[in-house]
Amino acid sequence: MTDAGAGTIAIAAGNISKRYRETVALDQMTLAVNAGETVAIVGPSGSGKTTLLHLLAGNLATDTGSIALNGRALAALQPGREKARLVGIMHQGNDLVANLPVVHNVLAGRLGEWGLLRSLVSLVIPREREIALRALDRVGIGDKLSERTSRLSGGEQQRVALARLLIQNPAIIIADEPVSSLDPIRAEDVIRILVEIASDESRTLVASLHSVPLALQYFSRIIALRNGRVLFDRPAVDVHPIHLDRLYAYDDEGPRIAVVE
Amino acid sequence: MTIEVSRLPPEAASGSVIRASERSLPRGRGLLTLVLIAAFLWSILQIEWGGDLIHAGGVAVLIDLLSGLVRPDLSASIVRKALGAAWVTLTFAVASISLALLFAIPAGIGASGVLIRHAGARRWTMLLGRAVLALMRSIHELVWALLFVTAIGLSPYAAILALAIPYAGILGRIYADLLNDVPTAPLRALRDAGGSELKVLFYGRLPLVLPDLIAYSFYRFECAMRSSAIMSFIGIAGIGYQIQLALDDLKYRQVSTYLLALVVLVVATDIWSSQVRRAMVR
Repeated sequence: MTDAGAGTIAIAAGNISKRYRETVALDQMTLAVNAGETVAIVGPSGSGKTTLLHLLAGNLATDTGSIALNGRALAALQPGREKARLVGIMHQGNDLVANLPVVHNVLAGRLGEWGLLRSLVSLVIPREREIALRALDRVGIGDKLSERTSRLSGGEQQRVALARLLIQNPAIIIADEPVSSLDPIRAEDVIRILVEIASDESRTLVASLHSVPLALQYFSRIIALRNGRVLFDRPAVDVHPIHLDRLYAYDDEGPRIAVVE
Repeated sequence: MTIEVSRLPPEAASGSVIRASERSLPRGRGLLTLVLIAAFLWSILQIEWGGDLIHAGGVAVLIDLLSGLVRPDLSASIVRKALGAAWVTLTFAVASISLALLFAIPAGIGASGVLIRHAGARRWTMLLGRAVLALMRSIHELVWALLFVTAIGLSPYAAILALAIPYAGILGRIYADLLNDVPTAPLRALRDAGGSELKVLFYGRLPLVLPDLIAYSFYRFECAMRSSAIMSFIGIAGIGYQIQLALDDLKYRQVSTYLLALVVLVVATDIWSSQVRRAMVR
């Protein structure tokens, strides 16, 4: 069921909306992502990027519309093994357990697969240590396996989160501003690895990004959001400065946007 | 220049608990402060600062006591007796804190409600768990001791149970609070990876609170040592019993030796606990 070949639809969202009290975060959005596509979501702060990704990851319920991942209705998926195989999520950072060694944070990617006993035993004698090591090697920090996670830099911690995702091995990866807390050099490293990981196994990747240049350089398709709607949706090679000027132009709708120095 | 928008989504985390106290704190605070200050002033006025504040000859006894305290009796037999009594006090403290931990860890996890996803069931579990813990600790160890001595006589079990029950109540309550009060982002990530609440507990919550949990347990062990010494005053062996006997015989220098032994116990625990903590932080 998870072996979605090229051309099949990995993510199908129909008419999804989300509002927080009076503010409309997402407005009747319809979206289809093919298996194996790498999609960057760009747009100004508050355009609905994070909301969209939370909805796609099933961490937030839609007000209207429905979402299907690999043909399965997201709303009907229970958290646990099945969902973990289908979709993996990466956040901005600070979502590792800082005072555990790196190996356990990586192996946490197996929690959906492992039974309780195996999970508990692994905290004492790490199970599948080689897989964790291979994942860390893949993201370039194989030497940090036994390090205490809190002693790692921000960039290294995001690599640990990548390794955890690698081990979870989901068909679809959702990444919400995965590099917003990193400096440009490390941000680019992490994005490069993220896209490589997705491409290697022809996984589907949807990531929100602040940096348009990074999005254009590494992703195959760019979806620009503004005020909860899709402003444009086109292949990265077809995105031109004129599109971006419109995306980041000041809003004339007034109250929803405050300009801060 | 950046553009900020006033409609960032709320935290998508599901398990966060909002406490009522956080919202209603400032209201009525000023009034309470006034009442407390008034009560304090009133209590000072109630003291009769007359001559009978200290009983006749009290000053002489006080001087005797102080001069004894600064010159502890370090003769071999007394030191041996002090060590023996300290050992008894220590074993009572260890036994009762172990018993308390056995109860407090599962009870604390239960009363924190973190294993239950259903909001209503979680609230009732928290309420019930915390009520039981509150009952256990609202009765002082000395009162428990009197009850147990009445019921099962002057046995070590009376002292150990009397200490274990309120300490289990205190520890359980603190564990529950610690487990409720962890950053939600790592927990959410573990759930996203497919972890059940029980796995999230072992991979997220417990590791996150472990240093605090251990530090607080050590502090409570220290308190248990002092309480264990006090148990002697109702006739159970230990260092407090020796202090009482020496006081009755007006042997203040021996009192001083026993007090010193108690201080050594507490300081040793403190050193041990800070070494454990240092080893954990590395």
